[in-house]
Parts: sequence; C-alpha cells; structure tokens
Amino acid sequence: MNAQVSLLAGEAMPQELHDLLNSTDGAAFEQALDVLVRQREQRLFRALGLLARDLHDAVRRLGGDLAQEGVPGSVADARKHLQDVLEMSSQAAHRTLDFAERMRPQADQLAAHADAVLGGAAEGDAARVLATQAKSFADEYREGMADFVVAQSWQDLSGQRIKKVVNFIGSVENSLLELVSLTGALASGEAAAGPVKVTSQDEADRLLSEFGF
Amino acid sequence: MKILVVDDFSTMRRIVRNLLVELGFSNTLIQEADDGENALTMLRNNSFDMVVTDWNMPNMTGIDLLRAIRAEPSLKSMPVLMVTAENNRDQIIAAAQAGVNGYIVKPFTAVTLQEKLSKIFERLAASGANA
Repeated sequence: MNAQVSLLAGEAMPQELHDLLNSTDGAAFEQALDVLVRQREQRLFRALGLLARDLHDAVRRLGGDLAQEGVPGSVADARKHLQDVLEMSSQAAHRTLDFAERMRPQADQLAAHADAVLGGAAEGDAARVLATQAKSFADEYREGMADFVVAQSWQDLSGQRIKKVVNFIGSVENSLLELVSLTGALASGEAAAGPVKVTSQDEADRLLSEFGF
Repeated sequence: MKILVVDDFSTMRRIVRNLLVELGFSNTLIQEADDGENALTMLRNNSFDMVVTDWNMPNMTGIDLLRAIRAEPSLKSMPVLMVTAENNRDQIIAAAQAGVNGYIVKPFTAVTLQEKLSKIFERLAASGANA
C-alpha cells in the first residue's frame, strides 16, 4: 500500500503527509489528519472572511450613496435624468406635431386658392404660372408633412428603450437596497449569535463573525 | 367610421391620428386610450369600428387586449390593427394566432398604414358580401 501511495503522489507530497501515510499509529494518524484539515479550513475561512468584509464595505458605501438623493451620480438621480429626457423628448415631438397640424390647413387653403385662380386665369397669364407653382408646392408640402409627422415616431421608439432602462435601474436599486438592509441585519445580528459552540467549527465561526456574518 | 387608437405614448397616438386624418378619416371620430384596460372599457361602452393598438403598454398589453376582444361576444369581430416595435417572429405569430387583422412594425410610413388599412377593409367587404 505504501508503495502505491508514493507512486500516485510522487515528489509533490509534503513530508508531513508522507510521514502520516506511513504511520502505523491509528490515533496519531487521526490527530495529524485533523491538524492538516484544520489548517486548510482556516485559510479558506480567512479568505471568505476578507471577501465578506469587502462586500460589506462596498454595500455600506453604496447604501450611503443611495440615501443621499439628488447627489449627481446617484442611482435615483440617474433614473430621474432619464425620466426628464423622456418628458423633454415628448414635449419636443408634440411641438413639432403642433406645427404640422397648424400648417396642414394652410397648405389646403393655398391649394384651394390656386385651383380658383387656375379656373379663371387665361393661358399664359402670369397668375396662372404662379398658381400652378403654388398648387404643386402645396401638394408636395402636404406629402412632406406626412413624412415629417411619421418621423416623430423616434420619440416613441427611443422612449420605449429609455423606459426599459428606467425600469432596469429601478430593479437594480431595489436589489441593492435589499442587499444593504440584509447585510445591515446580519451585522446587527452579530451580538445575538447565541452560545459559543465547542465544536471544530468554533474557530471558523468566530473568525466569520468578525466580518459581519 | 369610429376608430380607437391605443398607445401609452401620446406622441404615437397623435401620429397615428394624423395619418388617419391624412387618409381621409374624420378627426372627430378618432378616440384614444393609453393602455389595453382603458381601451377595453371604452370598447364596451361605445361602438367602435376598428382598433389600432400598440403592443407594449402598462396594465394591459396590446396582445392581451386583442385576446380580450376576441373572447368577448359583442366585440369579437372587431378589426384590430397592431402597430408595434415588437418585430420578433414569435410575437408576430402570437398576434396572428390571436386573430389580429394587420400587423405594422414601427417605424412605419403613411403608405404602409394605408396599405394595411385597405387590406383590412377589402377583407371586411368580402366577408360582408359572403355573409
């Protein structure tokens, strides 16, 4: 069996482990194995503890930022800015549509007047030339205005995307607030952690509690 | 002809209204609703001849409105034209299965709107003649 183990683990095996595997004393084997495992656990829990502390600090900073509404760069502000953009773009599009709606009857009137002139003016008359031009302008204008109106759909198309981003920011904000209150609850629950355990987890638990778990 | 235009964006409602007027529909007979729920209430309480609806809306979406219309005996034969930025295959199929009469993808032109409307009216006239 010893030969098999050294074949598998080869040179990379630490001396303690090598000795341990070669030991014939059952109790000593158990104890030494326990020490090895504990050393590994401690490293892992220390790393976890550091990670937890970093997370806790980051969330606490974020909580502070979130609490200060109106500070540029905060989440609530970002959402408000986008809502302002939505509102402004809507107003701008409506003003453009106001213009189109105001001008359409004028184009109709111009076309009607031109028709009246064309009905009465003689061939080659200067008024007839002008009326023909006015009529064709009014027709093209109407057509152009229809495209002009449709072009305002940019507000709806971009607005829908902005709304999606606003909703997304809202959900991120809620998740962050939950995270902040969750870590806060965990940190304040530290004192009421209950009686100290005397199991092998004891040391690890104490280490974790230092970092807010 | 009384038409109900349904969209949560007031800009788009106004654009559709403008185009309908341009196509010869009476401005006074065009009414607006800002979501499916309000549209359904208006459809139940007034007589409309056609619905032009968006898909993405709060409270009740356009596809849910379409399904609700088809499920209601007094409304089920109402022509519904969908005007939406949703252009993925599954959604278009869902609308077709729910019994949509026309589907226009935004951004669209006045010509497209006119084409789809005339198709709807042609089919209506044909089915009316057969009935």
